[in-house]
Amino acid sequence: MELLTALTIGTLFAIGVFQLLRRNVIRSAIGLVILANAVNLFLLTTGAYLGEDPAYATYTGVGQRIADPLPQALILTAIVISMGGTAFVLAMLYIISARYQTANMDDVDNLKN
Amino acid sequence: MTIEPQLILLPLLIPLSGAGVALLLRKRRPYQAGWALGSMLLSCGVSLWLFVDVWQTGRPLVWQGGGWLAPFGITLVADILALFFVVMTQVVMVTGMVYALGSGDKAVKYPAFLVLFLTLCTGLTGALMTGDIFNMYVFAELLVISGTVLTAISDDKFGTEAAYKYFYMSLLASFLMLLGIGCLYVSYGTLNMADLSVRIQAQPDGLLLLPAIGFLLATFMIKSAVFPFHFWQPDFHAASPTAVSAMLSSVVVKLGVYGFLRMTFLLFAAQAVQMRGLLLVLGIVGILFGGLSAIGTHNVKRMLAYSTLAQIGFILVGIGWGTPLAITAALVFAFNHSLIKAAMLMLAGFVASRASIKSAAFDVVTGVGRPLPAAGLLFFIGSLALAGIPPTSGFVSKLLLFSSGIEAAAFWPLLILGLFSILTLVYTMRAFMRIWWQDPAEGISTKPTGDHLLAPILLIGLILVLGIWASPLVEAAQAVSAWVADPAAYVTAVLGN
Repeated sequence: MELLTALTIGTLFAIGVFQLLRRNVIRSAIGLVILANAVNLFLLTTGAYLGEDPAYATYTGVGQRIADPLPQALILTAIVISMGGTAFVLAMLYIISARYQTANMDDVDNLKN
Repeated sequence: MTIEPQLILLPLLIPLSGAGVALLLRKRRPYQAGWALGSMLLSCGVSLWLFVDVWQTGRPLVWQGGGWLAPFGITLVADILALFFVVMTQVVMVTGMVYALGSGDKAVKYPAFLVLFLTLCTGLTGALMTGDIFNMYVFAELLVISGTVLTAISDDKFGTEAAYKYFYMSLLASFLMLLGIGCLYVSYGTLNMADLSVRIQAQPDGLLLLPAIGFLLATFMIKSAVFPFHFWQPDFHAASPTAVSAMLSSVVVKLGVYGFLRMTFLLFAAQAVQMRGLLLVLGIVGILFGGLSAIGTHNVKRMLAYSTLAQIGFILVGIGWGTPLAITAALVFAFNHSLIKAAMLMLAGFVASRASIKSAAFDVVTGVGRPLPAAGLLFFIGSLALAGIPPTSGFVSKLLLFSSGIEAAAFWPLLILGLFSILTLVYTMRAFMRIWWQDPAEGISTKPTGDHLLAPILLIGLILVLGIWASPLVEAAQAVSAWVADPAAYVTAVLGN
């Protein structure tokens, strides 16, 4: 299970970074979303292997190893924030692609001079 | 008189609730303006009061959220370091608000402009005052979103492009910060900064400690545009509305400086030597790169944005030397740089608002300053301050930084620092000569109305006052420097044992 999770996170990071470096603005936005999910999965693993039982729900207190609930709260916050961020990125992409009539990042360079 | 610890919420809650009410007042512009300015002033006054109190008693004010004691709950810590930066932020943001209200920009007339300005202030204040590293991430996101929206609605037609670049970079920065937080959490099982400091000292070979340091360093470098992560900054600062770019280039970049101070003194005190070496090198490279790039620009605002890169380099050199005097110098430098850079950007925006098309490009603003001698005088004083020439406050910060360098016997960095201080004068004087000295080109005229000059007058006045009567600021910075050198006191104040 650990190996599978590690491979998944690694693959997601690889795809995310690769997409991020593409010239196409839409692809790079998708890269951001994938990267956000990779980070969230990483946060999940920080508390995943401490115990098997869910916290609070079936906790009896005797010799039981409960899972750490905090990373899930962190992920919840991170998901909400990255959702807001993604929505905002897409809104700005819409304006940019309408204004510049292109999806190629190299053509969106009017600030250089 | 003892202050209730709940009161440290005020510098956060006043701008935040002010933003909510300002949104309700969106149809009544005069009321909204008055309310927003009033909440900024009140919050600035309260943070100044808290700072003076914490300075005099020498004890930080700690608020444990919801009664959950640290390290379990979210803690807000108003120690003197955080309050120093909060006071700096709020003083500059008051003048930014004054500039925005006197500005003729279309962006300022948007109903949400002042609301976002107040949430920007909330985000920055919160990120400075929190004692919980995940909470810092949340506040930093609030700051980033407000700053980006404020830039995206800029009058500059490339505002959206600049905002997109910045947001892209800061989303990456926030991913890096989350990764760093995850690494720290998996190694040490806590998010409270005081608790982390204790546990890292007890067990300095944590499994993911080094990746965490790397991720957090990269995060703060992106936040304050340190050399290899600086490329978004000139675009972003040049394209945002003047009132906003004056804030971004002065106080928002200081979040990274604050982060470096916290990292080297509190969180990773054992690894501080290596981090200081890195910051010293990057600071010097930033000074070289920022100074040379500022000479090669065609736009006053862009020039000032590159200059920020160089000035942040000076601050990093101070942090890199790390002696008490150097930290004092870095703090005074950070404070003065905020005032100076905000004033200079406001003056650049003032000139741009009088130009035929609203732009700060040199070929548009050449000669525009001829009928505006008052702004020219202010810009000249600001240039002197940026280069560090008496009687301005810039001189005090440079003097402290150089004497700390002599104390640290770092003569090669000092030579570079000295040369590039003079270079500052070269690029600012070039802008001054083109705007206020040269004859305007054919067909270029100065508009009779534009932005109001009150905010830069206030800032330049403050710069002169702090240049002549420097002892309060220097003594405050000395107190902060003595405080950060003793992380055990911070830990005791937060964890309470």
